[in-house]
Amino acid sequence: MKRIASWIAGAAALFSAATAQAEPVTLEIWTIDRPDQYIYLVKDEFEKEHPDIKLNLKTVQFRDMVNDLARAMATGEGPDVTYIDNPEVALFASRGLLLDLTPMIEESKIIKKEDIFPGPLASVTWDDKIYGIPRGANTIALYYNADMFKAKGLDPDKPPRTWDELYDAAKKLTDPAKNVYGLAFSAVATEEGTFQFLPWLQMTGGDYNKVDTDGGVKVLEFWGKLIDEKLASPDTLIRSQYDSTATFNAGNAAMAISGPWEMPRMAREAKFEYRAALLPIPQEGAARASALGEGDNVILANSKHPKEAFVLIEWLYSKMPEVWNRFGFLPASKVKVDNPQWPEIYAVFEESMKYARNRGPHPEWPKISKAVYTAIQSSLTHRSEPKAALGAAQKQIDGVLGR
Amino acid sequence: MQSIIRTIRDGSGFDILLLGFALVYLVTFSAFPIIYNIVMSLQTVDMFTIASFSRPFVGLQNYYNILSQPIASLVFWNTVKFVVLSIVFQLSIGFGLALFFNQDFPGATYLRGLFLAGWIMPALVVGAIWKWLLAGDFGVINHILMSLGITEGRIFWLSDPDIALYAVIIANVWLGIPFNMILLSVGLASIPRDVYEAAELDGAGPFERFRSITLPLMRAQLGAVISLGIIFTLQQFDLIAALTQGGPADSSNVAQYWSWQLSFQTYEISLGSAVSVMMILFVIVVAAIYVRSTRHEHSY
Repeated sequence: MKRIASWIAGAAALFSAATAQAEPVTLEIWTIDRPDQYIYLVKDEFEKEHPDIKLNLKTVQFRDMVNDLARAMATGEGPDVTYIDNPEVALFASRGLLLDLTPMIEESKIIKKEDIFPGPLASVTWDDKIYGIPRGANTIALYYNADMFKAKGLDPDKPPRTWDELYDAAKKLTDPAKNVYGLAFSAVATEEGTFQFLPWLQMTGGDYNKVDTDGGVKVLEFWGKLIDEKLASPDTLIRSQYDSTATFNAGNAAMAISGPWEMPRMAREAKFEYRAALLPIPQEGAARASALGEGDNVILANSKHPKEAFVLIEWLYSKMPEVWNRFGFLPASKVKVDNPQWPEIYAVFEESMKYARNRGPHPEWPKISKAVYTAIQSSLTHRSEPKAALGAAQKQIDGVLGR
Repeated sequence: MQSIIRTIRDGSGFDILLLGFALVYLVTFSAFPIIYNIVMSLQTVDMFTIASFSRPFVGLQNYYNILSQPIASLVFWNTVKFVVLSIVFQLSIGFGLALFFNQDFPGATYLRGLFLAGWIMPALVVGAIWKWLLAGDFGVINHILMSLGITEGRIFWLSDPDIALYAVIIANVWLGIPFNMILLSVGLASIPRDVYEAAELDGAGPFERFRSITLPLMRAQLGAVISLGIIFTLQQFDLIAALTQGGPADSSNVAQYWSWQLSFQTYEISLGSAVSVMMILFVIVVAAIYVRSTRHEHSY
């Protein structure tokens, strides 16, 4: 009898060991990547190094991510790990829906809090706890067509440094007969419009919580002048950054303000010498500012496999030195990038990262963002004066901030 | 047991069973969402409380908030323009085409069939095509207008706040014409030929025949097409999403898109619900008119 019992126990042990090996943990991952981007490119690599963890990837459209996640969380069907855009982390973290990673990071040998740049770190921090790990970072700079600079008698080694110089260059480069606008940027009524506007505002001393400033009026007047004088296309109001930069790649704009995510496509499509420069400042000696973008990998609070999920996040973080060359992100932490592609442009973005500022964080960021882009649009369409538009935005923002 | 089976097989039980299916369907897929929507419009709801019923009750506060927003009157008048202009042009062009294809000429039925192509395309695809046609810098329409010398400079159809709404209306009219045409063609085909012949013998000209025969006999179809057109136009979301996203500066924003923006861009779901409830009230009025206009349909 005893022997039978021990057989059964042994068989059970064997059986469970066998199933443990046969059934690795499967992590549900949501991402905004297309099949030729980021996590799809490293999935096999990760699974080979971690045979006990399988990844089940699902792509969600960028603009649907927050909706879908919130719905999935409300019904308890969310993924284990997901991408969240920088300004939305606070929205989820403040509601206790994300796993607090602080204790795991303290014990981690791979992720060191001190290495992460302050901007990206602030975007994943809520209430002094860390809720996500940046997958990388991005920021914006001024791309310019060096061939057109030469053709119009401008020195491509001296790109515009101030707003006045930017205006002069745009004016000289604009050539309606050849369908060329001086500058392409995006003032679209979405988060992207706010993303492009905030650095300009910050350079004049304002920020998302203080928009009705003289500096803010100056920015809107400057943008309005570019569009009214057709130095930038009126379609700037409805084009995303990616669509705007497409006109630059096609040679229909001589300069473009956008981020490093453009590089792979620009390298493919642009048939001219393209270079990049830091965003121009209001006047000599003014403070610099730039936007901070990219998203974060977070673990949901109700994930059944937090340990395995953290292994994945750690592993993705360890790829930071390769993110520029492989995915078109900038590193979000202090790492050494060997042989970066397009080294001059990389240097510009690397420098620009020093001035990159986070949006928010605030759990009701979408409302703040909407107030900002609504002001941009109503001012640029001359529906209201810049001062009145920014005043209305400030009133809404104060309401959100509870002031 | 036997009697239950018998009544279901060929008694009143069968009627009740059929009625039951229809009722369950209506309650689940129509009544419940509408009531849920009304309840949400009286509460404070955000993305994270959408699955639970216990939310703070605020009464009509959401309606007050919506109507006191600065863009409320702009959106209202945009919606009125969008619906009225869309319906007027869809109906008149659709009716004109239906009359045209009702004439006897070779290939009339095939050509009429071709018009359906526009209707079976998803509005999002139609939006993408129109976006390309109406593009400001490199749009096809601007190119044609400029090479024909009709306009001097480019028209920024989608980014000029004075034009954007009309650009969306043009696309929506195009999208709605086939539906109007097909429904009205069916009505025209059902008018007996001999009525026209008799009128012609009595000396009625084409205009007279249209006014005193076609229009009165088409009353029910026209009522149906107008009411359905209003409902479809108020549901038109994809086209706006593809073309202007309500912009620039809300100049082409209409109630249904605004409701979506409130619910899913700034996550003020209760405000979005309030907008949609007000739209439902309006649609109910339209539907009542439609039902009245079709009540006598079977009488001839």
